[in-house]
Amino acid sequence: MSPAVVATAFTVMVIAYFVVWNLSQFLMAGAAALQLWRYQRRRTPRNRALVANLASPPLVSIVVPAHNEGLTIVESVRALLALDYEAREIVIVNDGSSDDTLSRLQHTFQLVSAPVAFEQPLKTAAVRGVFRSVAEPALIVIDKESAGCKADACNAGINVASGGLVLIIDADTMLEPDALSRAVLPFLEDATTVAVGGYVAIANGSHIEGGRVADVRMPRSWWARFQILEYMRSSLLFRVACAAHNGLTIISGAFGLFRRDAVIEVGGYDHTAIGEDMDLTLRLQYAFRSRRLPIRIGFVPIPVCWTQGPEDRRSLCAQRCRWRRGLLQVLWRHRRAIANPRMGIVGMVVLPYTIVFEGLGPLLEVSGYAITTAAALIGVVNWSHFRVTMAVSLLFGAATTLIAVILSDVGTGRYLRTRDLGILLAAAILENVGYRQLNAWWGCVGTAQAIAGKRGWGPMTRRAF
Amino acid sequence: MTDLVVHFESIALWAVAVGTGVALALMLAVIVERIALAANDARLRRIERHYGPLIARALDGDQGATRQLASSPSRDRFNVARLLITPLIVDRDPERIATTRAIVRAMSLAPVADGLLRSHWWWRRALGLRAIGLLQMMDRTGAVVAALEDSNADVRNAALDALADMQDPAALPAIVAHLHNASLRRGPRAAAIAAFGSRCEALLLDLSYVDAGHRLNYARALAICGTGRSRPALCEWTADPRVEVRAAAFEALGHIGLDPSSASLAIGALDSGDVAVRAMAAGALHDWTGDGHAARHLGQHLDDAWTVAVRAARSLQSMREPGLAELQVRAARQDLAGALARQMLWEAELHR
Repeated sequence: MSPAVVATAFTVMVIAYFVVWNLSQFLMAGAAALQLWRYQRRRTPRNRALVANLASPPLVSIVVPAHNEGLTIVESVRALLALDYEAREIVIVNDGSSDDTLSRLQHTFQLVSAPVAFEQPLKTAAVRGVFRSVAEPALIVIDKESAGCKADACNAGINVASGGLVLIIDADTMLEPDALSRAVLPFLEDATTVAVGGYVAIANGSHIEGGRVADVRMPRSWWARFQILEYMRSSLLFRVACAAHNGLTIISGAFGLFRRDAVIEVGGYDHTAIGEDMDLTLRLQYAFRSRRLPIRIGFVPIPVCWTQGPEDRRSLCAQRCRWRRGLLQVLWRHRRAIANPRMGIVGMVVLPYTIVFEGLGPLLEVSGYAITTAAALIGVVNWSHFRVTMAVSLLFGAATTLIAVILSDVGTGRYLRTRDLGILLAAAILENVGYRQLNAWWGCVGTAQAIAGKRGWGPMTRRAF
Repeated sequence: MTDLVVHFESIALWAVAVGTGVALALMLAVIVERIALAANDARLRRIERHYGPLIARALDGDQGATRQLASSPSRDRFNVARLLITPLIVDRDPERIATTRAIVRAMSLAPVADGLLRSHWWWRRALGLRAIGLLQMMDRTGAVVAALEDSNADVRNAALDALADMQDPAALPAIVAHLHNASLRRGPRAAAIAAFGSRCEALLLDLSYVDAGHRLNYARALAICGTGRSRPALCEWTADPRVEVRAAAFEALGHIGLDPSSASLAIGALDSGDVAVRAMAAGALHDWTGDGHAARHLGQHLDDAWTVAVRAARSLQSMREPGLAELQVRAARQDLAGALARQMLWEAELHR
């Protein structure tokens, strides 16, 4: 078999992979569009008024792990206090911060050291003190030693939480005012609901007022623009489609509402997990499905919260490598769930899909680019093969993104200005030339790091809102 | 394999052509979708600008404004109705509801609502039901009750919401009868019971005597709407052989408030072998000030399972003097019970 034939066969395989992957995205888009349509018809203003019509809505404990969040913590807490959901307590976990996170909280909210009794069903690093606010009775601040991971801080918060539901968010997450009322509804409607996630959107560039996104705008940084598209795709295609069939395998660490007893039953967040959010979601799925207990994990398909995406290459690289390590670790840990009929759609469809397209995807993509380029350079295949491969990748990639843009526009009702939409459409095409390849490369780097056993978060630059 | 090389050009060109076509079609779809959304937004804004002041005047009793609304073009009617009815979700002032209903009738929109109820599409039937409920159109109660048996679950839930909004006593038997209908979401069921309040109580009690199998649901409903009248029945249910019924009965008693006999049952239940029953009994003693022994019994349960201990501590905190004294006794302890006692005392001091 001549090298030309081998190279051409490989190129065809890569193109086929792109086409199949994009077809799966189109299928997901169909399922997601249907789900969004249903959501809009079900979640009418009358339906959302249910919480207000209940004699005693469920108490929600909002757990916010904060490690060196002095820049944003006060504004974050103020925004949480202004949520439209009354039955809530806010538990801030100062996770061994070396900056002024705790002192800023103490000063602003008049914190005093207070006796707070709580069970410790989840083991955590030592709690140094518990503070309560004289000004805001719903605010509790835990000061604990750092265990070097967010999971430990979340577990400490869950221990202290007195609500039947716990909302886990990041310290730099900005919630929509009605986020909680929307996320609580599935629990009120269906007793089998164990967790609810939501669409996390990128806030970079938007106008922020009082810890809230007041005006959605496009950021100046192309890194952030590409991330907006990525978040749209992952939330509005993959997660909405999975949730439509009760097959969600990840609830973002930026916004996850859980039944506290269920989280405790599965042992809380795992300290050793890099992708602790996906790990917890899969453990919940496994714990219920393996015992044939009914479980529903819901998803709110409109932006419930906003987060800051990294705007410099170094932070973005560190984040993507960490996500990659987390994904591989979780897939390995939950290998018994893969192709396990007891796990239903999660084991038979979602996890195999994740392995083929997210686990192997970056490796296939990078090797495809590398081999096709090398074959073209040494003259084994002609350059038209290379150009065709790139064209197919770009066109189908852009098409998938455009579907997500349409779903976002119609489904979420947040319309960007015309200029911003133009930028978004340009980004939908440009991300396929460079950014996508870079992401695939970072995926390979993350894989190598996972094999080498690397841990830790890597550099992350925090900015004020 | 050689065939593959030969056919590569045609396969690749086909893939590029399809990709280009799909991408261009979607680009066009984004533009069309954006124009459609902008046009719809502009239309809604125009309707709001034009009819907003008219609606405000009509709600203030201006007959001229009502006549103007009644003669509005039919293409605007639906959105005018939306502007009129949506505020009723939050504002349940009977006068406003009556005025809005009169305006809607003057605009001949009632037959439109009837038409929606007969629609083939579930979301239109649900829309009609919500409008009828918010407007409290009592002459349509029968149709709304019938919708509780609709083939679509969303329509059935919309009917329940509508009945809760209408608060027509004639619908009460239907609501209570559907208390055990698992296809209705539990939140709207609770909200419907809450909307009718104590008016449900007699019916719930009557049914509970002939339908002991569903006591759990009745106890939960009485926790929402019960009064002192339910106490004897709930006291009886605290001896039910089913643990969940006993726990629910104590929870309901806690909401209603205890009398000496039910308090003594709650104190006795603190020694129950079941955690849920002990927890609900401890919670039921919240605010109880009648029996001096209650505090002492509750104090002993600060060491109990966490769910019991927390409720016992909260109840002690609510009992003022005897409860606080009991907490004081345990506050010096270094275990979890001591921490719980200190927390309750600290909070009581803060609220003083």
